[in-house]
Parts: sequence; structure tokens; C-alpha cells
Amino acid sequence: MAFPSREVAIVATSQTPSYRHFDGPEPVLIMRCVNDLLATTGLERDDLEFTIAGSCDYLSGLPFAFVQNIDGVGAWPPVYETHVEMDGAWALFEAWLRLQLGDIDVALVIGSGKSSPGHPREAFPLQTDPYVLAPLGLDPVSLAGIQARCLIDAGKATERDFAAVASRNRRDAMGNPNAQVTGDRSVDDLLKEAYVCEPLRRHDLPPISDGAAALVLVAGPRARDLVERPAWVTGMDHRIESHHPGLRDLTTSPSTALAASGAGVGDGPVDVAELTVTYSPEEIVLREALGLGDGVAVNPSGGPLAGHPVMATGLIRVIEVANRIMAGSAQRGVAHASSGPALQQNLVCVLQGGE
Amino acid sequence: MARRSAVIGIGQTDYRKQLEVTLDGLVRWAALEAVADAGLTLADIDAVVIGKAPDALEGVMMPELSLCDALGAVGKPIHRVHTAGSVGASTAITGATLVESGRYERVLVVCYEKQSEGNATWALSGGRSGGQGAGGTFAPWIREYIRRSKAPEHIGWMVAVKDRRNALKNPHAHLHLPDITIDKVKESPMLWDPLHFLESCPSSDGAAAVVIASEDVARRAPHPPAWIIAHAKRTEFSSFPGRDTVRIQAGLDCAEALYKKAGITNPIEQIDCAELYVPFSWYEPMWLEGHLITPEGEGWKLTEAGETELGGRFPVNMSGGVLSSNAIGASGLIRCLEAASQVRGTAGDYQVDGARVALGHAYGGAAQYFAMWIVSSEIAPTF
Amino acid sequence: MPDVEFTLEYPYTRTTGPVIGPFLTGLRDGHILGSRINGRVYCPPLEYDPETAAPVPVDLVEVGPGGVVESWTWVVETTPKHPFDHPFSFALIRLDGAATPMLHAVDGRVTKGTRVVARFREERVGAITDVYFVPEEGAPPQAPIEPGAEPVRLTTHLISLPISEPLQPARARFVQGLIEGRIVGQRSPATGKVYVPSRGYDQMARAEMTDADDVELPDHGAVSSFTIITPVRYYGQKETEPYIRASILLDGADSPIYGVDIRDIPPEQFRVGMRVRAVWRPPDQRDPSGFDNRQGGNWEQFIERWEPTGEPDADPAKMQEYVF
Repeated sequence: MAFPSREVAIVATSQTPSYRHFDGPEPVLIMRCVNDLLATTGLERDDLEFTIAGSCDYLSGLPFAFVQNIDGVGAWPPVYETHVEMDGAWALFEAWLRLQLGDIDVALVIGSGKSSPGHPREAFPLQTDPYVLAPLGLDPVSLAGIQARCLIDAGKATERDFAAVASRNRRDAMGNPNAQVTGDRSVDDLLKEAYVCEPLRRHDLPPISDGAAALVLVAGPRARDLVERPAWVTGMDHRIESHHPGLRDLTTSPSTALAASGAGVGDGPVDVAELTVTYSPEEIVLREALGLGDGVAVNPSGGPLAGHPVMATGLIRVIEVANRIMAGSAQRGVAHASSGPALQQNLVCVLQGGE
Repeated sequence: MARRSAVIGIGQTDYRKQLEVTLDGLVRWAALEAVADAGLTLADIDAVVIGKAPDALEGVMMPELSLCDALGAVGKPIHRVHTAGSVGASTAITGATLVESGRYERVLVVCYEKQSEGNATWALSGGRSGGQGAGGTFAPWIREYIRRSKAPEHIGWMVAVKDRRNALKNPHAHLHLPDITIDKVKESPMLWDPLHFLESCPSSDGAAAVVIASEDVARRAPHPPAWIIAHAKRTEFSSFPGRDTVRIQAGLDCAEALYKKAGITNPIEQIDCAELYVPFSWYEPMWLEGHLITPEGEGWKLTEAGETELGGRFPVNMSGGVLSSNAIGASGLIRCLEAASQVRGTAGDYQVDGARVALGHAYGGAAQYFAMWIVSSEIAPTF
Repeated sequence: MPDVEFTLEYPYTRTTGPVIGPFLTGLRDGHILGSRINGRVYCPPLEYDPETAAPVPVDLVEVGPGGVVESWTWVVETTPKHPFDHPFSFALIRLDGAATPMLHAVDGRVTKGTRVVARFREERVGAITDVYFVPEEGAPPQAPIEPGAEPVRLTTHLISLPISEPLQPARARFVQGLIEGRIVGQRSPATGKVYVPSRGYDQMARAEMTDADDVELPDHGAVSSFTIITPVRYYGQKETEPYIRASILLDGADSPIYGVDIRDIPPEQFRVGMRVRAVWRPPDQRDPSGFDNRQGGNWEQFIERWEPTGEPDADPAKMQEYVF
């Protein structure tokens, strides 16, 4: 039997704004998305046959923090749900596969996180090798700085290129009601700022954000009953690279290229791409890995540089593409999610409108 | 559209208070054994799924990132499931669905915990003083079970002895207590009334792994596959007005859904044996009832009559169970793989003769997460 | 209202196994070791072949102490977790004799191609932080290193994550109420159920609540559940003597208050259904610190003790719906 055996589409999406600090609990962020989805689709809670959420306990500084998040989803009467300690994009991947089994048709996928209570630069080193890296406090900004340096030394990019990414993303974000950091600043202006981690400046880094996002995934023709123009998932794949920085070529993203191939990015034109560009140099690496030409609009939402609710960020990239397809302003799009230091792990999703 | 999946390889570390390995070494120990058992190498694996309980137990955030090389996952998909104490079984189920989706042929599922690196009670207390621990949460619910069922006090002690005696036959088990007796259990210090020290699980280091494969691959595997006949998960809120924390609705619903999928109408007769997640002795009768194996109020009678012993009518926790080894992230997978071992006929000294259908189960959180599967030596067993 | 300030902290102790153990022992004793795998030397050493993940025999060789910077970043804004509290470089350093670079910290500015050399700290414990690097040019001499006696079997990492956030609105109003000697919960506009302390929403209806939904509860009710805790020793544990931890269903509430620690009522007298009332601390002794947004407890900062009222017990069977 060929894979996939069932066509699956996104029929509704929801996201909260990206907040510098949300003063309520994380379940409320999720609750707003879930209620919004139920209102949009007209579905009842028990129509959502399978729920899968992505979140990370360590962001909240509390083991088992994810347990309270089911308050936002609804779990009475008891529900069929599961959870990954990863960005909601990986929850989406598992949901897409789960729907292939044929016994259920509708899934709710969620990503959420509050980064504001902790100090992300101090928490994220815990993602690194516990023996030889974590005790150095090796944080994602420092690793992104090294990646940026590799790009410069390889002649693949300049600091000006990085600033151009930051400038464009935050300017485009001005059109995104959910964005947190927006503004229209020239490249020359940005290049006058001080380094945080040379060659990266503050504008090359993401903000600290709280937020949540969710979507409804439907298998089969039922998708057309729920929305006029479903965003069909035509391919999705995710791959990981070596964790050891010394074994990687940080100027490329082979796992993104592999995932892109697995998702069939090259099988058609790409109208829009939403990429998890958390540090501005990453856009250069990802464009190349995905084979996106200069004509492709990348991160019209402003991307993570404009708002970075960790664990929802990747899912929001999918949502931004899906929204444009459902609105009819794009026919085919690529969404990308990332996890781990310096683009260690990457997920690519291809969405398409039409029949 | 319904594809079958099967367990074709099983691997486990020994479960001990402290294992002298790195986290890489821990997961590789189980993973390499599982792929070898499947007649494969790590290179043959299409996708890897890791499951474990809170990262604060080891102080490593999102460990799939730092373990992917050790598991041969570079260039492959790897992801990580987290559903509290039930995670081992949830991850097994995720592995099965990855194969049943048709996307992958061979999936490696690895679950572990290295509790000696941190402290489980500290983590369960959210890193704060005054934590009541899992036992402290469950103890009042157990007291209520005893009140409702009028179970005599020795039932918990009997379970504690039975599981540890079974563990003597399991070389992997953490606790090997050859001298354990009812009196010893009864006289051990009271932790949370009515749970004595010897009625509680240990805190273990350990990893477990299974290779789950498609029907095509399973039919060519060197050892008999354990066909995954059905799986189910259910969750409810931890607290809400009117919640019954003794006879838990999510547990009842999960069992019902599972049996319906499997075509089982009379679990106690049609299932040959079960590995149930029993970290505190009284959960054996509570799950027998809570998962519709016995009628309400009768679970303790099955235990008291010795029917859950290895030679009994419905053996439970032949491997020694969670009471004998508890690396939290792994325990749910261990239940699932011990069920698989039974129907493959590879359970050694604690083999249930002729086991054809077995149940693997885990629960977690405030007894709110349930994950269960049924495995069989037959691809489509009839009942 | 004070912010929630908490540090999630634990001194993790990690067994080091047959490869990292000797590596860290080497660092403690002033040597850097790599593993030779299929003729290539990898530093830091690996327990497996990085190309295939196949097992490999342990074959450790000394590398460095000098090497070449392959890439770097100049960390201007440091964090408390970094090896230095002044700007420094993180760099990929290919040590002499190694095929691949290791990532470590250099105390000084570097560029691609700069030669650096290891320096070992005066106090070494068998951890990656025992060593750091300096530019070779002008490097101060290495102080003599006394090797240790035993191999490094365990390495320790104190992980300390500071958390700081304001009390969430419903929680802040609850704590303010306690300061004023009142217990404030919320009544769900969707279901009419009264929750205390409230999370600010009714999860049964997926409905948010506002201060318009606040209700005051009386400070008396019945014990719905309890456990006797015998404290277990763990890092940060302050309790030493057994005590009762109870949930109490205040009159009019549909959810019990939980994490109520009872030290003044003998366990033999304590029972589900027992009616109790709060004896408040004098206003100037009520302490709102230590509350957070998720956990229960801290009642004793406002309520000196709970005492039996002497009224007939509530029906324990009814209490079973409000245990948690």
C-alpha cells in the first residue's frame, strides 16, 4: 500500500499573539486557541478524536508542567491524547501519521510555551551534551554566533546579509497582528548596533515570547466539508544531524535538505515559505538547503525574529502557510521547523491548495 | 487501511540503583540488544522514538538531541514522547502507529531513566521542599479502595511478595529479595499509610528498547514476532469536582476501547497474562478492577486466591513488575515488552506456558494517563 | 505582590563510563584525550563510531595541548553559566593530533587560524570545566598539575535555573485575600462550580474567569483527604519530622484546598470528614512570599493552624468526590 494512503488537510488554524510576557497561565493560551478552532469549524470537543500537544517542561522550570496544559484542551469525558516534549510541528507529524491508520479522521495539534519566566540562554545549554558541553553553559546564541562566523569565513554571507534578514523580517512583521517585535530599520542603522555575540547583534536574535498555536487536521473528503479551501499536506519529513559541533558543517543544513527531499519540496513551485529562522544567519543556510530561489517570499509573517513562542514557533510556520493557502493567496507553500542548537534537527512540511 | 505491526526485537539493560555508564551507554545497551534480537543493525532502522519522564530527572533537556548519534539516528527522524509515568507505553504505541501508518518499516523505540543522576522525589516535588511523592498522592486513594472493597489489609503485602519472588527469575530486575516474606513487608517502615516501604517501587537506572516492524519485515524476522493487536490511550484531568480517583474513568474507557479493538469480550479468560504498572502494591487489585478484568470490588479476591501468581488463572507481573524495577521512563515500555516476550515464548524462567495473548499497561500523572496494548503470537487471534 | 522567584536547582552526579571517565580523569590530571576510531582521532572522545554508530574498542590517545581555531564567536554578553564572567570566545578548536575540532572556551580574542593552548585550572574536579584555552602567543605558563589518585567515576554538575514571574491575576487576588484574612475562590459562570484556589479558568468548560467571578469562601470546612508524610531526604528538603498533608473542602467549595500541612492535630484523631476551621496568624505575621502559580501549600504562612470545630463529621463517602 502506498504512503500516504489518506489525504490529510489543515482545515482551521489558531494562534495567540506572541507576548513578551503573558500574565496568565499557559493553559489559557491553549484554551483560547482551542475555543477559537471549535468556533471556526463548528466542531464539538468530542469531534476532535485525537489530540497531540508539543511543549517543554524546562521552559516553565517545573517538571510535569505539561500536565496542566490539558486544562486548555479539555479532558472530560476522558480523551485520546498524547504529548511530545518538542515543538508542535513534531506533534503535527505524529498526527499526520496517526490519521493514516484509518480509524479516526480528525486531530487537534497544539504547540505552546512561556519563555518569559526563565532565562532561555541559561536553560537551553541543557539541550547539549551533558558531559562536554552543558557545563560550559553553551547557549544557542553562542552557537548561532559560531555558525555565523563559519558562513562569513566560507564567503557565503556577510554581516550585512544578516542585518538584511533581520531588517526585512521585522518590517514584514508590521503586517502581522500577532507579531511581537516589528519595525522599519535600515541595514546601515542595524549595523551600528553593538555585538551581543560577535558577529551577532541583538536584532539578529529572537525575542523572548509566550504564546500558543493550534490547528485541526482532517483526513479524507471530510476536510472539504469543514473549509472551502483546505491546505492539503502533500509531504512532511524530519531529520537530525550529529549533535557534536565538531562533526557538522555549520554552513549547510543537510538534515533540512534531506527532509525537503522527503517532503517533496522540489516537486512543484513554491509560492511562499515560512522558515524557523531564529537567528538571522539561518535564513541563508535554510534557503540554500531548501533550494528556494530569490523569488520565493520567505517569512511574510516576520518569522521567529518577530515573535518566538518556543514550542509553538514551528507549528506557527505551518499555520502561516496554511492560512495563505486557505485564503487563496498561495497555492503551494513550504513550512519549516527546527529544534536543537544551530539547526541540528529540521522538519519540512509541504502544503497545497486545490483539489 | 489497517496495517499490522509487531515487536521483533527486545533489549533491556539491567535495572540497578546506579549503572556505571553514560546516558549514551545506557540507551545503546538496550538499543543494540533490541536490534540484534531483531536480526538487524542500527543502520537498518528507519526512525527512532525516545520516551522518558521529565528531563529534570537527569538534567538533560530534550535528550533526543544529544543521544541521536549514539542511537544511529543521524540522518533519520527521531522524536521524543513525554506522558509522565505512562510514557513507556505511550512511546511503544507511537512506535506502533509509525509503522501502521505505512511510513516506516522498522522503528526503534527506546525508553529510559537514569535516576541516580538526580533524585526522583526532588523532581516529583517540583524541586521544592516538602514533596509528598507519588506514594503520598496515591495513599489516600488506596485507603478509599480498601474502604469501598472491604479488602483485608494483607492484600498489598501479598502483591509485594509475589512481584519480588517473580523478580528472582528475572536477571534484569533491580530488586532481588530472596528472603522477602509477608511479615517482612508488614514490619518494614510505613511510608504513607497504608503503604510500607517494601510495598513501594525502587528508584532505578535502566533502559529498554523494542524494534517494531511491518508485517513484511516481521515475517522475515529471526524470532517469532509479537503481533500488536490493539492499543489505546486515554487521559482525564488530574482534579475536578466529582473525580473518582479510585475507579478512574479514563482507565475504564481505555480498557474498553482496547478490548473492543482487539475483539476481546471476556478479558480474564481471553487474555493469558498481564504486565500492569503497579508501583505500589495495592494497584494490582485496583487495576484488575479499573481495567475491567474483574468486577468492581473483586480484584483483591483474585490476588488473595493466588490467581495472579505465575501459575494462576491470570498471572500479573511475571517479570517482577514496577515493584521490582522502576526506571520511570522505561517502566511502561518494560510492561509492553514483557507482554511481548510472553507471547514470543522468550520469557525464560517466568514464562507463562502457552501464552498467546498478553496485556501491557502503564499509567501516569495523578493516575490520569493510561496507555495499554495487547500483543499476540498470532496476527489475528480470534476469541 | 511579590514576584514568584524560584531556582530549580540540583547537583546532578553522572557516572562517566569507560570513555568519558578516562577523558575526565585526563582533564583532572592535565591531559586531553581523544578516541581513535578507524584511524581518526575524535576529541572529545566517543563511545561509538560516529559514521555508523557501531560499537568500537576503547582506544584513547593524547591530543593537544595546543590546537588551531577553526571557528569562533566573541561572547560580549555572558551568562552566569559561562566559564568566564568577562567577554571570552567560544571556539571550535582542532587540537594537535585530532581530526575534528572540539568546542570549548578561550580566554581571549581569536580568529580562524589562531593557535590556542590548554590551561588547566588550579582546582580540578574531573569535569569539562577543569580546562580552558588561551591564545598560544603570550600564554602564561601552566602551573604544575598534581594528578589525582582515583579515576573519575562520577562527574558533578550543579544545574541551577532561575525562574521569575509575577503571580497570575487570579492567584495574586487569592494571595491578597489571604493577606486580608479572606479565602477567595472563583465561581464558574459556565457551570456554577466554585474553585479555590482558582486557576483563573474553569477547565470543565474551557472558560476563562475574571475578577467578576471571585467569591469569598468561609474559612472552615471538612477534611476530604490526607496522607501522613514521612519526609524523604533530598536536595533542598527542609522537612524532617512526619506530618499530615491534607485537602480540605471549605464549605461552599467544589474543589478542595490542598497542600495543607497539619502539625497540631494528632494523626490518630485526624480523619476524612472531620470538620476544621482556620486559626489565622495576626495580620502583621502573614507572609506572601514563596507562593507560586502552580503549586499548592504555603497555607501556614497565613494560617497558624487548623483546629477541629467539634461539629459532627461530614460524610466521608461524600468527601470522596473532592479528594484531589
